[in-house]
Amino acid sequence: MSRDATSRLRQSVWNGSLPLEIRLHKGDCRTYNESDPYIIQFPRISYLGLLIHKLHAFFSSSLIYPDVAASDTWLSYEGVPLKWHYPLGLLYDLYSGAEPAYPPDTSSPSQKSESTEEERRHLPWRLTVHFSDYPNEQLVKLDNEDNILHDLFKNSVKEADYLRTGTGKTVMFLSKEDSTQLWEAVKQHDFALYNPINQKLLNPQGVNLRHLPVRLYLPHAASDSLKEEASPGSLRVVQSLVPTNLSSRQPQTIGTALNSILPTLFPSRRSALLAQAVLHGAVLPLSASVEELIRATAYLDGWLHIAVVMMG
Amino acid sequence: MLSSFPRLAASDFDEACNSLLGRYRRAGQKQEEWLSIETVYHYDMTYLSITKALPDAVYIPKDSNDDDEVDEVEEDDEEVIAKSSVPQAIINYDIVLSPTYQVPVLYISISDPQHRFPPTMATLYEHLIPLHFKTQTEHAGVIGGITVTDHPATNRPVFFIHPCQTAGVIEASVGARDVTAEEYLMVWIGALGKCVGLNIPLALVREEEDDLV
Repeated sequence: MSRDATSRLRQSVWNGSLPLEIRLHKGDCRTYNESDPYIIQFPRISYLGLLIHKLHAFFSSSLIYPDVAASDTWLSYEGVPLKWHYPLGLLYDLYSGAEPAYPPDTSSPSQKSESTEEERRHLPWRLTVHFSDYPNEQLVKLDNEDNILHDLFKNSVKEADYLRTGTGKTVMFLSKEDSTQLWEAVKQHDFALYNPINQKLLNPQGVNLRHLPVRLYLPHAASDSLKEEASPGSLRVVQSLVPTNLSSRQPQTIGTALNSILPTLFPSRRSALLAQAVLHGAVLPLSASVEELIRATAYLDGWLHIAVVMMG
Repeated sequence: MLSSFPRLAASDFDEACNSLLGRYRRAGQKQEEWLSIETVYHYDMTYLSITKALPDAVYIPKDSNDDDEVDEVEEDDEEVIAKSSVPQAIINYDIVLSPTYQVPVLYISISDPQHRFPPTMATLYEHLIPLHFKTQTEHAGVIGGITVTDHPATNRPVFFIHPCQTAGVIEASVGARDVTAEEYLMVWIGALGKCVGLNIPLALVREEEDDLV
């Protein structure tokens, strides 16, 4: 991928967003009639946890118990509590039921109109906000100062850095200012703040990238066995060491990585037979280089968070 | 010599877990601290799970001014019932080898039929961390060296000790000695477990001494 293509792709990933329509759960609403929904166009790569203060302020006049804290806020979609540290795009790709987009060369003109129809059916994404009965067993409880969300983010950034460099020294060497700037960039969704720090992390001095931060999310329907009683929306999260190159001449592709991590779901390195890898709402071509994807399309914490979807 | 020291290779981790399981099989009945130790298989992941009873003494009913617990009224009602009828809460210590850091990572949660101990910072400091470790653990990371994350197997929120310093801690504890996989795990529990109440029961450590007698 040319430098230009990488930066264009980086921009479109940064600008990707979804319309959300968030309604108050009936059990928390003081009026018999439903209150007005909170409507927002929200970045795919950002975290819903950053919305709790706005949601709390917006709905507090409609609440049965108006003195709840912002940290009591939680969101669900069709009964599934939405994890705060999963970016919105990942949650949507996992739970909305929307059909992912295919590479343009395989789509006929009829598919184009289908996808518009598909969007109309699923958007805005309709979520429910709750202020009571916090699902402690399923969701990390946030605090009113965003420290917990920051901590979750920082741990994820550190882990990605450790994989890339093999030492985690880059994050350690990020100055206090850089580290603060990174979190500010996330909170304000500001590319000008984000990009310089991200470039430092992606290009550690004197080190080639060793492993690539890739995490796979399998809805339980897509995994090969059901060992335990699964709660709604529960996932199997799979992580494994993904070396940047298979040999000096063969870079790691999505196909080679999936085939080595989940051979039963991805028996072939070249063609998807049973399942597909979905990132930012699009089916990943198995031939795509993982390193190029990391550089152009990683989430804010440096990871490729990939939803594995069974083929119908 | 361990091939990946101060990290731990997957095969060495398995060996260490099996050795500790063997110790427990032979000497577990001589102690009461650990209720169980077992290997849990979750798809391709294998981890060690140790349980012990949540000490009663640590359980302090919450102040009435702590108003962020919705179910508090219920709790107080149940406090009236004789203590012996309250089911015992259990601490789960899960030791998982991190694929990233290649060191064992400790995940801690409390199983309680009455759900009195959700994975929140309040539970951590009131029920899990022994008093004399509090100041030490509070001053690392954004909010402390122990925070909440999703368990790698169950994907449910649990406490964990941040693993990015572990290799350094192990290196400092072991020094120039040559350690076996099992010794690595014992040193690891010794260094990291204490601050959340996980200690190797003496009966398991004394095993060899007893055998010599």
